[in-house]
Amino acid sequence: MNALAAAVWKREPQRALRIVDAHAHAGPYSLFFIPDAGRGGLVRVMDRCGVSHAVISSHLAIQLDAAEGNAQTAEIVAQAADRFTGYLTVNPWQDPAGELDKWGRDTRFGGIKLHPDLHDYPLTGRRYAPVWEFAQRTGCPVLTHTYDGSPYNDLPMVDEVAARHPGVVILAGHAGATPLGFDAAIEVAQRRPGVVLEVCGSFNTGADIATMVREVGADRVVYGSDFPFIDLRMSLGRVIFSGLPEEDRAAVLGGTMTRLLQWRSGLG
Amino acid sequence: MLIDADAMLGRYPRRHVGEGTVAETLDRMDRFGIAEAVVSHTLSWLHDPHTGNLRLLDLVVGEPRLRPCWVLLPDTCGETGSAAAFTAAALEAGVGAVRAYPADHGYDLAGRDAASMLHALAEARLPLLLDAAQVGWPSIEAIARTHPELPVVVGGLGYRVLRQAAGVLARTANVHLGLANLSSHCGLEWLVERYGAHRVVFGTGAPVRDPAESVTRLLWSELDDQSVAAIGAGNLRGLLREEARAA
Repeated sequence: MNALAAAVWKREPQRALRIVDAHAHAGPYSLFFIPDAGRGGLVRVMDRCGVSHAVISSHLAIQLDAAEGNAQTAEIVAQAADRFTGYLTVNPWQDPAGELDKWGRDTRFGGIKLHPDLHDYPLTGRRYAPVWEFAQRTGCPVLTHTYDGSPYNDLPMVDEVAARHPGVVILAGHAGATPLGFDAAIEVAQRRPGVVLEVCGSFNTGADIATMVREVGADRVVYGSDFPFIDLRMSLGRVIFSGLPEEDRAAVLGGTMTRLLQWRSGLG
Repeated sequence: MLIDADAMLGRYPRRHVGEGTVAETLDRMDRFGIAEAVVSHTLSWLHDPHTGNLRLLDLVVGEPRLRPCWVLLPDTCGETGSAAAFTAAALEAGVGAVRAYPADHGYDLAGRDAASMLHALAEARLPLLLDAAQVGWPSIEAIARTHPELPVVVGGLGYRVLRQAAGVLARTANVHLGLANLSSHCGLEWLVERYGAHRVVFGTGAPVRDPAESVTRLLWSELDDQSVAAIGAGNLRGLLREEARAA
């Protein structure tokens, strides 16, 4: 039994790895009730399991107001910089260039978050041009929501933007989200070296994650939970019990994401 | 100890989950430290309940870790016999619980057509297991209030249902929640604090769902060991007719 599974069975936080959650949020969400969705609840769950760090975008930013929501994300990170890094949410209808100008050099943000489904705007649309320009110039990773069959962020659209911007790291959030989507996401990642698969969602399994690692490599698959949208332990458990070799599991759970967050050190 | 209230044998047509054999099921249970499981058969859900229920009994003969769970239909067309005959046969065969798929099988579980079957289940004290996607919360509440002796376990909750489930839990005593895909952030702790650990039973949703989810969710919860033990096995033991198994 691996050290992480043993920690689960002992009901103790794991201490074997630095786990980084590549897909997290914060705050309430109108469609359903989330208990304890604030910073305190997030840190408590991370401590319970032994998750060191999470990269977050506030629910306010993705759901309603990018400007106010990005400020909220920045405030949460400021209060616990050792535990959180922010995703700068870019809403194509809410001044993308202005948000990038305002926050692009702020070290509280380590990535950009796009949610085309929530904003009714295609990932391939021109309003996202400032995002690709910024990411190309800086090395800042871009996490986009993906969902198989979506008119806004289906996998062929990830393929299209990855082909247009081969120097950009694109984290495919949920890796397509469904069994059919997982297959499509793997195919896109195999064609486009900049695409990294992020594994949170409601339909993923440890077997699916192991397939992704086998097909595209452990340096191209990252653990995310989507918490507090979904409880952090759902996705984390899948990775822990996936049967991945120890080295690959360590890369998926934190090693790869830690490397992707280092881009600011390369800036002049 | 963990007892899985939500597992299934048989093949599955919409994604690759293995062959659904008894050997695969026992191997998966061993990998996740699950001692026993209440199992249905996909044939009962996705093809023909009567045939699936009988095949399930054949498969679990001599498998003391697997407790059969039949799938019910209203007795209006006589497909699984009268309500009384169905429950008598279930008890005779050591069936531990009964599932219903009203959405997939095209009937109203809270309506008049299923009333006699639910009445028979309640009299037999056979727990009714449901997936949240199969029946609305108003129907769940109506069934629970009409049959207060009938234990109802609702699984497959997802992360969007606390607003609906909370009211039903507050107004009923016999509705329980299954842990399979109970995925609201801190939802398990919130539910236990409000309604008690006795309202939740462990389940995995395997093989369609990964048992790693519910195992990790329960063991890495913020609940005390006593609550974890109750949810992991004790609550389900209390709902099942253990004496029928020995018969």
